[in-house]
Amino acid sequence: MAIWLLRIAFLGCLYLFLLVVARLLWRDLRAAAAQVPGEIGRLVVVASVEGGPPAGGSYPLDAVTALGRDVNNTIAVDDSFMSGEHAVLSYRGRAWYLEDRASANGTFVNGRRVVDPVPVAFGDEIQLGRVRFRLERPRPARKP
Amino acid sequence: MTVVAAAPALRERSLRPRLRRRELVLLGVVAVTLVAGWATLASTASETISVGDPSLLAAYLAALLVVHLMFVLAGRRTDQILLPTVGLLGGISLLLMARLPQELVAKTLGPYVLGLGPMQLVWLLVALAVLAVLAIVVRSDNWLRLYKYTWAAAGIGLLLLVFVIGREEPGGARLSICAGPICGQPSELLKVILVVFLAGYLADNRVLLATRSWRVGPLRLPPLPYLLPMLAMWGLALAVVVVQRDLGAALLFFLVFLGMLYIATGRALYVLAGLVAFMAGGAVLYQVLPYVQQRIDTWLNPFTDPLGAGYQTVRALFAFGRGGFLGTGLGAGLPYVGSIPAIPAIHTDFAFTALSEELGLLGALAILGLYLVVAERGMRVAATAEDDFRSLLAAGLTLVLLVQAAIIVGGNAKLIPLTGITLPFISYGGSSLLANAVVVGLLLALSDRGVEPPPPPRPRRRIGRRGAAS
Repeated sequence: MAIWLLRIAFLGCLYLFLLVVARLLWRDLRAAAAQVPGEIGRLVVVASVEGGPPAGGSYPLDAVTALGRDVNNTIAVDDSFMSGEHAVLSYRGRAWYLEDRASANGTFVNGRRVVDPVPVAFGDEIQLGRVRFRLERPRPARKP
Repeated sequence: MTVVAAAPALRERSLRPRLRRRELVLLGVVAVTLVAGWATLASTASETISVGDPSLLAAYLAALLVVHLMFVLAGRRTDQILLPTVGLLGGISLLLMARLPQELVAKTLGPYVLGLGPMQLVWLLVALAVLAVLAIVVRSDNWLRLYKYTWAAAGIGLLLLVFVIGREEPGGARLSICAGPICGQPSELLKVILVVFLAGYLADNRVLLATRSWRVGPLRLPPLPYLLPMLAMWGLALAVVVVQRDLGAALLFFLVFLGMLYIATGRALYVLAGLVAFMAGGAVLYQVLPYVQQRIDTWLNPFTDPLGAGYQTVRALFAFGRGGFLGTGLGAGLPYVGSIPAIPAIHTDFAFTALSEELGLLGALAILGLYLVVAERGMRVAATAEDDFRSLLAAGLTLVLLVQAAIIVGGNAKLIPLTGITLPFISYGGSSLLANAVVVGLLLALSDRGVEPPPPPRPRRRIGRRGAAS
């Protein structure tokens, strides 16, 4: 009889462990879900020019982000080698695409010139004019 | 490892100890559970309430506590749930091994002769040490990321080494290499190397693999040069079956590969095509190789030869039946034939069957639940990773554990053909425990959100040939 109680106690403890873990996981997921749905990606400045954005700085991206010299762009960079309306980064489906907007000096991904929209992955380098960016994953949500 | 040590500190490292309350609480529950299990075992053996000789268990629990304290002192923000979960699985393994006949394994170390239980304890302690060191020391993944082809070459070299100097097992499989008194199964380590290589390869070529540049009939395929490594993987899996006669490892490698391919490209068609190709290969091998044929026949009809080929499977099914809902209780099941357990390989391939009989359906489900917890943590690490390589690495490592557990549990329960691989953290075996400790140690290291950021990408061929990309 007492041995049976021990056996049941062992099974009970196994489930107690699972229960405690499940509660922790649930809280963890709730906390992650409660986090403000922030960025979907970032552009980090790798190399820049005088008067441009400082290298190391980063821009959060919108689902459609226009890049160029004109002040009406989402990300406006004052580089004389850039066109007014230079390129557009857009998030379609589950991937980022980069499209050149008939710029004078071209748009480059990892050193290759692109003409039509191409998929870009996190970690790719994008060059517009003399400014180089790197597309990066959104920053992981951090707990305080 | 020298690379790790030499890596420059990019962020301020805080060596301030950091309390890990969740881990401590969970480890407390683990300790209570294992003590209850140990008391059940001892009481069943002596038929009065006792805890018997708890020195093995005490040593194991002390080791868990030491690892916890090491994590606290190291002050990293690694995951707090993985260690207790894996610790509980290892503890259940220790209970099982201490309870099985000790003569199944007897190793002589100097003046001591260690049986199954003490040997498993030794391996568990070594595994915990490996896990702790990896989780504390690994701060950068560059040593994995930058040398992926080197790792792949090392893996293939290891495989060839087994082909050439491997020791033949009774079943005809060539699995282990022996160096003096120490034997190891390289396929256990190979699975980790495979994940590292695939994570690197897929992270580099992810976008190209997801594009479709040419078509065969209704199929639209990615550029051919990027398809070849996948065909090579398929060939490798079949080669492992043919030459090494290791069906379990082949299945594990191929399923992990398909899983990672799906995670990287998000195209279910690849998985489907891979499964069809594997089935086709399997069908051909079934015709050609007698041992494959025997495995499948035994799976479909174990009762045609219950004392010969189907013996293991039939005995395992009986054991599941005896277990029922609540089980016979730890230490009260597992009848003997003469002086050996009725189920062969009870401490390795059939560990899950043994636990199912003694803990019943409830206990078996709880154990599967523990693997699910590991899966959740691993996938969370993958989801919050900062770049493709790290994400794929974490997902792949998690998949290895999960798929391996699924294959052997399915095999035990006659859901799929039985293949001889180990149940992670529960089966007896040094190679298996060490390889899985490496997996969990890496997962823990990757879960630290303060790890060194990934390096800037080097120029790649990726958006290569102008025609294909644009």
